Amino acid sequence: MGRIVLEKVTKSFGDTQVIPPLDLTIEDGEFAVFVGPSGCGKSTLLRLIAGLEHTTSGKVLIDGEDMTEISPSKRGLSMVFQTYALYPHMTVRKNIAFPMRMAGLSEEEQNKKIEAAAESLNLTDYLDRKPGQLSGGQRQRVAIGRAIVRDPSAFLFDEPLSNLDAALRVGMRLEITEMHERMKTTMIYVTHDQVEAMTMANKIVVLQAGVIEQVGTPLELYHKPCNLFVAGFIGSPKMNFIMGTEAAHMGAATIGIRPEHIDVVEEAGVWQGRVGVAEHLGSDTFFHIHDTGLTETLTVRAPGDVQLKHGDIISLNPRTELIHKFDDKGLRIA
Amino acid sequence: MSDRRLPRLLQTPSVLLLLIWMLIPLGMTLYFSFIRYVLNNLRRPEWTTPSISNWRGFGNYEFVLNNKDFLLAIQNSLFIVCSILFLTVILGILIAVLINKAFPGRGIVRVLLISPFFVMPAVNAVLWINMILDPVLGLQGIAVAGLNETIASLQDAPVVGWFFSLWPQLEPISFRATQTSAYAVIIMVTWQWTPFAVLIFMTSLQSEDQQQKEAAILDGAGAWSQFRFLTLPHLGRPIAIVVMIQAIFHLSLYAEIEIVSRGNGNKNLPYLIGEFANNNIGAASATGIFAVILANIVAIFLLRMVGKTLME
Repeated sequence: MGRIVLEKVTKSFGDTQVIPPLDLTIEDGEFAVFVGPSGCGKSTLLRLIAGLEHTTSGKVLIDGEDMTEISPSKRGLSMVFQTYALYPHMTVRKNIAFPMRMAGLSEEEQNKKIEAAAESLNLTDYLDRKPGQLSGGQRQRVAIGRAIVRDPSAFLFDEPLSNLDAALRVGMRLEITEMHERMKTTMIYVTHDQVEAMTMANKIVVLQAGVIEQVGTPLELYHKPCNLFVAGFIGSPKMNFIMGTEAAHMGAATIGIRPEHIDVVEEAGVWQGRVGVAEHLGSDTFFHIHDTGLTETLTVRAPGDVQLKHGDIISLNPRTELIHKFDDKGLRIA
Repeated sequence: MSDRRLPRLLQTPSVLLLLIWMLIPLGMTLYFSFIRYVLNNLRRPEWTTPSISNWRGFGNYEFVLNNKDFLLAIQNSLFIVCSILFLTVILGILIAVLINKAFPGRGIVRVLLISPFFVMPAVNAVLWINMILDPVLGLQGIAVAGLNETIASLQDAPVVGWFFSLWPQLEPISFRATQTSAYAVIIMVTWQWTPFAVLIFMTSLQSEDQQQKEAAILDGAGAWSQFRFLTLPHLGRPIAIVVMIQAIFHLSLYAEIEIVSRGNGNKNLPYLIGEFANNNIGAASATGIFAVILANIVAIFLLRMVGKTLME
């Protein structure tokens, strides 16, 4: 079990309130991702749940029990840190054994769990090495192993993949998602990378300046961002925002359209512009278009075989039914 | 590899200089230790100049080994060095951990803690033996006298008087005596060198990974377990450094021993060398060679021990 509820939680450091009153429920078995730009309070929120920071006010409930004043080790949560936080002078085996050793489990039981964890994480051959002799990905797996053996009611991940290179990150992303499918344990995952959020989460919590902007499934956030911030943050490349007459024309202060919802047409499109930079990825091509009269740069995602160069005139058709409208406060209209 | 020649050539002068720096004194000591060489001898004036014709073989070594003070000096050297190491490392770790936490006035406390290290050894010894440890005029004498007076006055008090009348008159300890002078040296050198240990451990503690500690907290480790399993291993290398540097320095203690008791009862090897060097350079050199051997044994032994217990 691992249902985590935050009730009116706030956090201040001195006079600065980094998290204004905040309510959030994470259901048992969910994979929740806290995402937002750096400094948005997502890590602080995770540390509040873990108990590494004290809440200034409000309650943290785990499975209905008030854990606000309970010490971190008694909350039944495991945490995986960005820097892995392995104990450098202990072997992998001892690292994984450490929480069980602290809990006073028998040697036999410890070994059984270590073997099982090592097996599932492909660490069996490395059990007698020290963290310094492992690669980044292996170290992260050891950190996950150390988290697993405690049988926590929820896993907390604090940007666990930020220190890995791009290829490894994709691999580890899959492994963690698979682990969640297998174990069905609640996971809370903090990242600044919206791709990680979109690919891994059942529930994304978008944060900005300590405030929850929107909570929803990845596709809900993609299709129905509730404000400009979420619209701009979710999706890659970023959504195009158009203000002025074109927006007023549609009865909004700002309209947004995703690059993949603009089609490149031969001629006589609704919008016209000049190609700036063209990024050819093979499968897709991203055009950065100037001189449209709509906005500084318009990003358009076209199929990979569209052959247009720098300086070419381009003709575009937006899919009007997929245009997002926002009012003058930045909130979604309808 | 011809492209290596220039760097090697440029290194040569410094390597040569270092070799000369070390080898000439060592060679001369070895040479003197095998000949008869005294500074003043009216009956055998030829011994007063070093010459190969005064060859004595292992005679100087035999003479030193048969000297009644030699074994005592080695014992004393080891006793003083080991005691100081033990005390400074323990005190150093405790103080460093204590002042690693943030508290108001930490900067001033740190400066005050470091300051004993800047006192000259001879001054340190004079201060301690005369002003603090002296049984009459020092703080010790005053404190003991004060305690005795208090007890004496309490003996006449009602109700509790009988209890205090059971107390004996306290005697101040004379730290210049044969039996206690080594302790005086240990106390004053520990006072002076604990700041060194604190300084090294403090910088090391500041580089300790905080996320590791947080991970340990979540893993259920209490304050003691964190100290035992994270902080202490983290300090393994600095402890080895402190032990090694201090062992080198304290094997050659001289000023403190001279000032506390003029070697009365607590000669160490350097002090013995100094005594021999008043006249018998040959014996002094032989003792010097013994000191070199002892220093090497201590260094290897200590490094092994520290390395094994703390690096797991």
